[in-house]
Amino acid sequence: MTLLDRVEPATDALRTDRYLEALIRSGERGASTAPSDPELDPGLRLAAERLAGSLVRVHPSFRFEEHLAARLAEAAPKLRLPVASGGEAGDRSRLRATDPIGLGPLDPADLADPAGAPAAFRLVGHSLLIGGALTSAAISLTGAAIVAWRRNHARALAAPAPTAPASGSEEARPI
Amino acid sequence: MRSAEEDRRLVHLDRDRPLVDAARRDPARFDALYRKYLAQVYSYAYYELGNHADAEDATARTFLLALGALDRFEERARPADGDGASTFRVWLFRIARNAVANVRRTRRRHPEAPLEAAAVVADPLDIDGGVAGRDEAGTAWAAVGRLPDERRRALVLRFVEEMSTAEIAGVLGRSEGAVRVLIHRALRAVARDLGPRR
Repeated sequence: MTLLDRVEPATDALRTDRYLEALIRSGERGASTAPSDPELDPGLRLAAERLAGSLVRVHPSFRFEEHLAARLAEAAPKLRLPVASGGEAGDRSRLRATDPIGLGPLDPADLADPAGAPAAFRLVGHSLLIGGALTSAAISLTGAAIVAWRRNHARALAAPAPTAPASGSEEARPI
Repeated sequence: MRSAEEDRRLVHLDRDRPLVDAARRDPARFDALYRKYLAQVYSYAYYELGNHADAEDATARTFLLALGALDRFEERARPADGDGASTFRVWLFRIARNAVANVRRTRRRHPEAPLEAAAVVADPLDIDGGVAGRDEAGTAWAAVGRLPDERRRALVLRFVEEMSTAEIAGVLGRSEGAVRVLIHRALRAVARDLGPRR
């Protein structure tokens, strides 16, 4: 692969990116015509315009919206706990133990950071006070992960032959 | 001593800062963030999972987890992210991404029916162009649905959520350059799939 081969896709990608930015902004302004870029591949431009018109936002039902709002409102007061003695924040560890948000058993993967995430967007673990002993969210999540793994491992040992992964799995794919 | 330039670089730009601060002081005020981002998170989950029941499940998990973990959110908007950047939105979508993966693992379902979804979202006021509009949307959705996961996800974040490249990079855990190439290749694949007709 030559240097030109490496540089060209990045240059094309940058041009496409600028066009998409202009296309989305023109949609926000309610412009009747799409922006033009004579240097952009016409096929790409047409595909971008079709996607801009077809990939629309989907709204949930009003019933669902209000039901979830009520669940959040119900959970909110339980998050306003008194500061524990010697602690700087509410004892959130108890929240995990008693499941006030009604999710059932939490999967640590729900809040985990995918590997390689830019530092700017990492979830930051804060210290917690549990029963007077200082620990960290990372420790409690690790503990939960180990329990979950052990349960899954035990199930896997008891289960028949493994099945093929689903096509919608999160496995990494080439860009 | 810091220069004025350095000070400018350290300024936080997160447009959701007032709402996040209010929700941290009083969790009941999380409702404003919930209302603001509900449709966005729901759309993302719906495009990922392809049916309303699973999208509702993933959406509920996302907001309940975000409420419970709000004290762990750390705002890190950069000037390069542009005016009005929201790292809260990026953080929320990272939770949504994990919640979607969790729902998918639990249900063991494949992404379904972009065509079915297109029929739901076609403009109900467009009586004359209804069928054509649904066809157009269905064809586009099907082309996007055939893309590999990360390409599809990047296009949905760009077109449906109208995220900047920097925000998508934050959600997907990739560099901005990689996201640009990802979207460019995804669009090229869709263009090939859709062909020249309009």
